[in-house]
Amino acid sequence: MNTITFNALAEPNRLRIVELLRENPYPVGEIARRLVLRQPQVSKHLRVLSAAGLVKVHPAAQQRIYQLQAKPFKELDNWLETFRRIWETRLDNLDKYMQELKEDQKRNKK
Amino acid sequence: MTENTNNVIKEDLVVTRIIDAPIELVWKAWTDPEHVKRWWGPKNYTSPTCKIDLHEGGKYIFCMHSPIDQGDLDMYTTGVYKKIVPMERLEFTQSLSDKDGNKIEPFQVGMPPDFPKEIRTQIVFRAIGNLTELTITEFDWPVSQMSVYSYAGMHQSIDKLSASLARA
Repeated sequence: MNTITFNALAEPNRLRIVELLRENPYPVGEIARRLVLRQPQVSKHLRVLSAAGLVKVHPAAQQRIYQLQAKPFKELDNWLETFRRIWETRLDNLDKYMQELKEDQKRNKK
Repeated sequence: MTENTNNVIKEDLVVTRIIDAPIELVWKAWTDPEHVKRWWGPKNYTSPTCKIDLHEGGKYIFCMHSPIDQGDLDMYTTGVYKKIVPMERLEFTQSLSDKDGNKIEPFQVGMPPDFPKEIRTQIVFRAIGNLTELTITEFDWPVSQMSVYSYAGMHQSIDKLSASLARA
């Protein structure tokens, strides 16, 4: 897991662009229009996202269409999974251990 | 949601779980090192050592050992107990540490730059008949993709728990 993905997503407008591109690939003008941002600003953000491998550009006629790339998101997700699971599995363990302990106590009483 | 002077938005992470055991037993499970060792590590992990100095201002060091396919490593968590109310509430800090309880900078072990150095944690115990409701709160996580995902995971686990109780 590298920090380039985190840094690219840490800027609020870049995260909004990523959210928008989840629906559909769009050209830069359309992204600017939908998010009410200035086009040069959007172009700058798209350059950062491209450099991080999060989006890829496809030329189509006169336009350049920006599309999300799955790979870095999958890597991010795999890495985050380890954090997400910690409390969940820890509490599963606690519950299981408590059942064992209760069984032991019952047996000792007999 | 709060915002500090550095404009880092922070949020608390909350997990609630009902454990099928009386409150005395669940309290012991959190405060007696011999008990903690039996459950602290996540799935397929073991917890070879555990030290607890159970008084306000006292220190703890928990260890978890990852399975061979996940590095075969010892990972230590340390902290200080800030508040101890038996069978009601435990408040402590959590930091990554070495085996002697010296804190480690999170970036040194590959954590992202905004990973907190110290997490203020609160465990609230509540008896519901012979069951115990645990509410775990980790305060002031910087809002990044990580905490967003943790939330999603926690809601899932609470949903799962409700489903299993409904069946019971």
